[in-house]
Amino acid sequence: MNARSFSLPRTTVVVITAVVIFMPLGLIFWQSFLNAPFFNPAKHFGFDAYAFIFEDADFWTAFANSIVIAAGMVVIALPLGAALAFLLTRTDLPAQRTIEVLVLIPVFVSPMVLAFGYVVAMGPVGFYSTWASAIFGGVPWNIYSLTSIAVIAGLTHVPHVYLYSSAALKSLGSDVEEAARVVGANPLKVALNVSLPMTMPALFYAAVLVFFLGFELFGLPLVLGDPEGHLVLSTYLFKLTNKLGTPSYHLMAAVAVCIVAVTFPLVLLQRWLLKTAGKYVSVKGKATRQKLLPLRGWKWLALAIVALWLVFTIVVPISGIALRAFVEQWGEGIKLADVLTLDNFRGVFDQTDQVRAIINTLLIGTVGGALAVGCYMAIGLAGHRQRGGVAKILDYIVLIPRAIPGILAGLAFLWIFLFVPGLKELRNSIFSVWLAYTVVWLAYGMRLISSALLQIGPELEESARTVGASSRRVLTDVTIPLIRFGLLASWLLVFMIFEREYSTGVYLLGQGTEVIGAMLVSLWGAGAIDQVAALSLINIALVAVGLAVALRFGVRLHE
Amino acid sequence: MNKLVVENLHLQYGDNPILKGVSMTLSPGEVVALLGASGSGKTTLLRSVAGLEQPSQGKIAIGESVLYDSAAGVDMPVEQRSLGLVFQSYALWPHKTVFENVAYGLRLRNTSGADIDKRVTEALNNLGLGHLAQRLPHQLSGGQQQRVAIARALVYNPPVVLMDEPLSNLDAKLREEARAWLRELIVRLHISALVVTHDQTEAMAMSDRILLLNFGVIEQQGTPEEMYNRPQTQFTAEFMGSNNHLPGKVSQVADGRALLEGEGWRLWGVTRGELKPGDTATGIIRLERTQIANGAADNRVRTELVTGMFLGDRRENLFKLGELRLRCYGNAPAAGECWLELPRESLWVFPAAAPA
Repeated sequence: MNARSFSLPRTTVVVITAVVIFMPLGLIFWQSFLNAPFFNPAKHFGFDAYAFIFEDADFWTAFANSIVIAAGMVVIALPLGAALAFLLTRTDLPAQRTIEVLVLIPVFVSPMVLAFGYVVAMGPVGFYSTWASAIFGGVPWNIYSLTSIAVIAGLTHVPHVYLYSSAALKSLGSDVEEAARVVGANPLKVALNVSLPMTMPALFYAAVLVFFLGFELFGLPLVLGDPEGHLVLSTYLFKLTNKLGTPSYHLMAAVAVCIVAVTFPLVLLQRWLLKTAGKYVSVKGKATRQKLLPLRGWKWLALAIVALWLVFTIVVPISGIALRAFVEQWGEGIKLADVLTLDNFRGVFDQTDQVRAIINTLLIGTVGGALAVGCYMAIGLAGHRQRGGVAKILDYIVLIPRAIPGILAGLAFLWIFLFVPGLKELRNSIFSVWLAYTVVWLAYGMRLISSALLQIGPELEESARTVGASSRRVLTDVTIPLIRFGLLASWLLVFMIFEREYSTGVYLLGQGTEVIGAMLVSLWGAGAIDQVAALSLINIALVAVGLAVALRFGVRLHE
Repeated sequence: MNKLVVENLHLQYGDNPILKGVSMTLSPGEVVALLGASGSGKTTLLRSVAGLEQPSQGKIAIGESVLYDSAAGVDMPVEQRSLGLVFQSYALWPHKTVFENVAYGLRLRNTSGADIDKRVTEALNNLGLGHLAQRLPHQLSGGQQQRVAIARALVYNPPVVLMDEPLSNLDAKLREEARAWLRELIVRLHISALVVTHDQTEAMAMSDRILLLNFGVIEQQGTPEEMYNRPQTQFTAEFMGSNNHLPGKVSQVADGRALLEGEGWRLWGVTRGELKPGDTATGIIRLERTQIANGAADNRVRTELVTGMFLGDRRENLFKLGELRLRCYGNAPAAGECWLELPRESLWVFPAAAPA
């Protein structure tokens, strides 16, 4: 069996996967120990790059800011997410189905778009700010402070905590809770003594996840941190690009290594936590219908808090963008009716690069998404039903991209296309962006595929073997047909993720490789607010179409 | 058709031995049951024959064709063994119709379309499923699904059909009917079958021979009658039926008989294994051989009735003999003293297991 597990197709898949993951990562490491960009003939090895950034006060401020924001996000998102999960799985909160869908929207909206939405809605001259100042005689908030960034980031990451804690609560057999009721615990005691401790591993996992995402944050601090000059590690890296006048690849690589040095241990910690969490999930009770905890009068208070959160994280930024996309300008004393216009969209469609960005984004989501799912499936099948060997190698290498934030992956792939002879031509095609996207979202895609593969009982495949099918025939006749729906669902989810992605394309942006996400970052930097608004709205519309189709076909929005 | 031979098969998961040298044969047209408690290795043995488990040592062959031989380094891939396997969960492919489920094995063998039609229809008709050919598995009842799984395993005429707990997914009531039906099918179609079960009644009803497995070794094998009436070990005796247990001390041994004594009782029984006076031993007798008697005599014990249970077709009574509890069927007299007869040829005396 072990000799057979290293068949040619399987080995090919493993080797290709390893190459596309380790090459860019290796290049970053190598570059970080050079004193000049790798294409510079005068380069030599040394710690100059690290010495430079460690002496830069901005680096340490950015590092501290990253940690403060990430920790702040955990403090805000964890209790809210856990409470939301409890309300939606264990109580008779009204409108549960609607809320369950709405809760997930922030996950699928680009943080770049969200950040921009907050600027035009609640910035010093945003829509809601000017209305508020008309009432209070001044804007009672400042969204550009470090605290505001942490609060906004925290509130928009509540869905992540919600997803993991609700999954844990749902998989918790109701029998263990009923047993506690029978021996005399009231509902509150049950929640505190049974449900909470048993979902603790999932909560802890979610906390690490949110901290990790906070550490990677790019779009929000880029847009909201700029006016007051708050830097985080990723924006510090981004600003380094032109700091010295010449390309400072070695400095960027050194920062990148510092980021990965923090994120990689976190990924390993998550993996370890997930394994430990498994011991509770496997204790499954009978799926009896749960008796929901009646909220009585508290129902409306709970609903109001949930609604307030939804208004702040979804309605405010998106309505801000929607309004901004249809006005010429906005500020104090301007009447809405006077400034309504479609010129912003005309502006977008007059620019060939922006039209290309829209087309490319659509292509990368549909065709690229399908190809990416194909790749994920190939990797999933290569490790399917394999004990040891191949499966273990794959298990670990698909984890690695998780530790690499999109902006770093984009940078690394840019270098690959510049560095590896023969790839230069591809650098200017959308293929380069697709490859980077596919690698960045590898771990996510693999989770989708493996949850589909997990649904197949091993005996369905074994029975095909016993009636005479070779292992390849089993794949084509049994395994793949059985995960058809899972593959389609994965495609839809990957479509939305690819529409939303922005940071990975930033460094790859060039003629022919425009995508909306990267275009937004570039246009924002150039101050083209009108076009940012219009493109943002188009981006939201694309994701919304994906979301609508997914809901129509009953696709579960998370694994 | 050829004989299935398994020789000295060993298998372990990590350091945990599951099969510790199992040998067995299955002749053409014979039905052998692999019986044992969970963890005995019976399913592992079946799956090893199918090629779904990886033994570490031994040999499996059907006639001339060697399926597995550790010495020669032969390990035929599952799909080339051409055996039929009926899974405990049936494992019907949910995306294929009944017809396609059954036809798949023939398609893999490049059978012509007309031939597939003919053979699948015949197989389905044989199992009374002709009218369900175009249904999908989830539209069938449990009993129908089981028949499809059997049809799928039979359609390409495998030399041996392997069945993993074929009846355990059926309701208790249905199970007895299915047992008789399956036995009839096996006899009618002259199938050679290896059947895994944990239920001794099922094993006796369905098979010509029983292999009783205990922690990876064969405890005893034989016809159902031999296994039930002439158990060689206490384990076999206990596994095959419902018994009364009488732990005591041997005081005399003569002519293959032993006199077993306990507090307030002494009984002659048939020795099973090496016994000498002074040994501790256990007397075991089937419930149905224990009889209510009408007074003191040889091989009788005086007991006290504790309670009676009505089971529909008979009564089961519980008696007290000092600390011991004895059960037997029949109409007991009113509460109080009662004599029980334990016929000496039905009472087996097993040596107590040597303390580990």
